[in-house]
Amino acid sequence: MLANVFTKTIRDRWRATAIAVAALTVMLLLAMWVYSSFDFTFYDDLPEAFRSLMNIPDNADAGSLAVGVLLGLYGSFTLAGLAISMGSASIAGEEKAGTIGILLGNPKSRNQVLVSKMSSMVLLAAIGIAVLWMATYVVATMLNVELGTMQVGAYSLHMVASVVFYGMLALAIGAWTGSRGMASGVSAGLMVVGFIAVGVFPLIEGWENVAKVFPWYYFDGSDPMNNGVSLGHMSILVGATAALAAAAFVGVNRRDLKGHAVGTTILDRLRANPFTQKAVDKLAGSTRVSHIWIKTASEHQGLLIIVAYVMFFVMGLLMGPLYSLMDTTLLEYTDQLPEEMWAFVGASGGEMATAEGFYEVEVFGLTVPIAVMVVSITMGARALAGEEANRTMGLLLANPIPRRKVVIEKTYAMVALTLSVGFATWAGVWAGSLLGGLGMNPLNIAAASLLGSLVGLVFGALALALSAAIGRVRVAASAAVGVAVVAYMINSIAILNDTVEGIAAFTPFDYYLTSDPLNNGMNWGHGAVLLAAFVVLAAAAVFLFDRRDLRQSG
Amino acid sequence: MTDQIAIHTEGLTKHYGDVKALVDLDLDIAQGEVFGFLGPNGAGKTTMIRTILDEIRPTSGKASILGMDSHVHSVEIRNHIGYLPGDLAMYPSLTGRDTLTYFANLRGGVDWDFVGTLAERLDADLDKKVGDLSSGNRQKVGLIQAFMNKPDVLIMDEPSSGLDPLVQREFQTMMREVASDGRTVFLSSHTLSEVQRAADRVGIIRHGKLIAVEGVAELRSKAIRTVNLFFAAPVDAAVFEPLPGVREVDVENHHVTLSFDGQMETLLKVVTDSYGLLDITTQEADLEEIFLTYYEEVGA
Repeated sequence: MLANVFTKTIRDRWRATAIAVAALTVMLLLAMWVYSSFDFTFYDDLPEAFRSLMNIPDNADAGSLAVGVLLGLYGSFTLAGLAISMGSASIAGEEKAGTIGILLGNPKSRNQVLVSKMSSMVLLAAIGIAVLWMATYVVATMLNVELGTMQVGAYSLHMVASVVFYGMLALAIGAWTGSRGMASGVSAGLMVVGFIAVGVFPLIEGWENVAKVFPWYYFDGSDPMNNGVSLGHMSILVGATAALAAAAFVGVNRRDLKGHAVGTTILDRLRANPFTQKAVDKLAGSTRVSHIWIKTASEHQGLLIIVAYVMFFVMGLLMGPLYSLMDTTLLEYTDQLPEEMWAFVGASGGEMATAEGFYEVEVFGLTVPIAVMVVSITMGARALAGEEANRTMGLLLANPIPRRKVVIEKTYAMVALTLSVGFATWAGVWAGSLLGGLGMNPLNIAAASLLGSLVGLVFGALALALSAAIGRVRVAASAAVGVAVVAYMINSIAILNDTVEGIAAFTPFDYYLTSDPLNNGMNWGHGAVLLAAFVVLAAAAVFLFDRRDLRQSG
Repeated sequence: MTDQIAIHTEGLTKHYGDVKALVDLDLDIAQGEVFGFLGPNGAGKTTMIRTILDEIRPTSGKASILGMDSHVHSVEIRNHIGYLPGDLAMYPSLTGRDTLTYFANLRGGVDWDFVGTLAERLDADLDKKVGDLSSGNRQKVGLIQAFMNKPDVLIMDEPSSGLDPLVQREFQTMMREVASDGRTVFLSSHTLSEVQRAADRVGIIRHGKLIAVEGVAELRSKAIRTVNLFFAAPVDAAVFEPLPGVREVDVENHHVTLSFDGQMETLLKVVTDSYGLLDITTQEADLEEIFLTYYEEVGA
C-alpha cells in the first residue's frame, strides 16, 4: 500500500467528513432536545404491523426517534454521499484532473494505488460513523435522554457496511469507465431509488419482496437498532462490497487510462455523420454557443437529465400506480400520527390516506427540495467560481461585456434549469395521478412544483452570491447546502417549539408547503416572498462580483 | 510606430496582503510597437496584465489603454483588444470552431474569412474538441481567438508556449504584421529568444519592479560579448584582469575566454602588441546574458 497516496487522500478528505459529523451531532442534539418534550403514548395504540412498517421501535421515545431520523436518514445519506464522492474521485477523478499520469509515473502499480484509495475511503467512513456513534451517547447523556435497549453500535455497524458499499460501487464504476460523473451519478441514483423503494414496496401487498433487490434494504431492513447485527444482511453487504472491490481491480487493469481527454458523446458522433451533421451542428454548435446562458445551461444538461428523469419517472409517474396498489387501510393509521412526527421528513401533515398527502410526504416533502437544490446550488456555485477555477473567466471577460452580464446570464441558465426540474416534477406527478386514477388537480400540482422550484432558486441564488463574493466553488456550494439544511431543520421543528417558530418565518421553507398547495392551490403571497428573496440575492451577486479581483485559479 | 500611447501605467501598484506583486510601475507603450515584457516566473508580468485588463484592481496608481481608464472604460477597451492569457484554458467540450464562435458572438461578430486564414497559417484544427487537443494545438486556437477581431492592442502572456518552431516563426511574422499596421503588441514572456526576435523595446521586471526599459538594439549595443583568443604560447590570466571592460577571464592553456563590454580597440592593442595572437572570435551576446547582467547588477 502506498502510505503517501493513502495519507494524501485522507488529508484531502478528512475535513468534509469532520464537518459532516459535527453538523450531524448538532442536529442530533437539536432533535433529541425537541423530541424530549414530546408525548409518545399514542404509539401504543398503533397496530403492530404499522409500527413495524414505519420502523417505529417498541417503546418509542425521544432517543429512538432522534437517532433513527438522524443516523438512518441524514447520517447515512450524508456519509454515503461522501463515500461516493471519494470512490468516484479515486481513479476516474485522477483521470479527469489529468493527474493519473504523474501518479502512475512513480514506480507503483495501479493495484497499489487502488488499495490505497480504497483503504482511505473505508477508514474515513468507519471513523466518521464511529464518532457519530459515540456522539449519540454523549448527546443523550447531556440531555438526560434514555437510550435503553437501543443497539446504536449494531446500527452503526450496518451503516458502515452500507456506506462503504456505495463508495465501493462508485469506485468500481470509476475504475471500469474512467467517468467520474457516471460513477457518482449511478451510485447516488441507486441509493436514492433504493431508499424510496424500501419505503414504498412493503406498503404494496404481494410486492414486499421487491424491496430486497435494493442494497438499502440490507442496511436497516432487519431493524438492527432493535434486533442487533443481522449476520445474514451484513454478509450480503460485505460480500457485495468485496465483489465490487474485485471488479474494480479487474476494471482498472484492463483498460487504457484516460489523459485529459474529453469523451465522445452521441451528439459528437451525429455531428460527424454527413446525414445529421447540419442539424446537429446547429444545435450542438452554433446554438449552444450563441449566448452565455445557453452555453451554461448546456454544460449542466447531464445533471438536468438525471434529476428530471428521477423526478418525472420515479418520483412522479411511478408513484401514482404504486399508491393505487397500496393497502390504504394501513395508510389510514398515518392520520393518527401527530403532525410533529412528519416534521423531520418535511411534510406538514400525515394524511397519507389521500393521494395529496401521500405525494406530499413521499415526493414534495424532502425529495423535491433536494432535486431542485442539486441543480440550482450546483449551477449557482459553479456559475462564476467555476469559470475562475477552470481559468476561463479571464478569457471570457476579455470580450467587451460587463461583469454583470455574465452574472445575469448565468442566473438565467440557473432559473431555466431549476424550473425545468419543477416542470418535470409537475408533469410526472400529474401523469402518475392520471395513471393511478388519483384525480389530483394539475393546477395544485403546478403550484407545489413552482413553490418548490422557487425554494431551490433562493438557495441557488445564495450559492451564486457566495460564488460572486469569494470565487470558490466548494465553499459556495457547502455554505449554501449548510444554510439549506439548517433552514430545513428549523422549519421542521418550528411546530414543536415556540422559540423556533418565530425564526422559521425567515426560512424559505416556511413559504413552501405550509399553505398546503397540493390541496389549496397557489399561495401567491408565498410565491412573491420567495421571488423577492431570489431577486435580492441575485442582485447581491451582481454587486459583489463587480467589486472584487478575479481569482486566477480555484 | 506612432507617438500615440497604446498602454500607459502610472504608479501602478498591486499588493496581496504583504506580498508586493507590482510596485509603482510607470510605463508607456506607443501604438505600432511590439513591446516585450521580460521577467522570470513570479516577477509580476501576469499581475500587470490582469490589472490593466481590469481582472484585478490596483492597490494604487492607474492604467489606461488607448487613452481610456482601464477600470472606468473596461468594456469599451475590450472592444479594441485581443488577449491571450498565460497558461491558457478553454472549454474542453467545445470544438475550436465552437469556442471561436462563442467569443465572436460576444464580440458581435468577426470576419470568418480572416479566421480561416489565421487557422491556415497556424495549421490549426478547429473541428476537434479543445479538450482533445495537445497543448500546442490548443494554444493555436487561443492565438486565433486573440488575433481574430483585428485588435488595436494585442496583449499576450507567454504566447509561444507549446508551439513548434515552424508555427513560432509564423506567429512572429503575424506579430510584425500587426505592428506594421500601426497596431500594438504587448508580449509578456520569459523566453528571451522570442522577445529578441519580435520586440522593438523590452521592459524587464523583477519582484514587481520595472528595472529597465530599453530598445532591443540599444541593449545589444552595450552588451557584453564573449571574446575567444588563441595564442601561440600559454598566457597568464593576470594580463587581462586589469583591462577596462573585462568582467571574467577564463584561461585554458593557449586559449583565453573573456566576458567583455569595453572598447575592442584597447583589448586588441594589448593582445597584438605583447603576445602572439593566432586567432580571435567574438560572439554577440543574446538577451539572456543581458538579462542576467541586469539581474545581477540592478536587481540584486
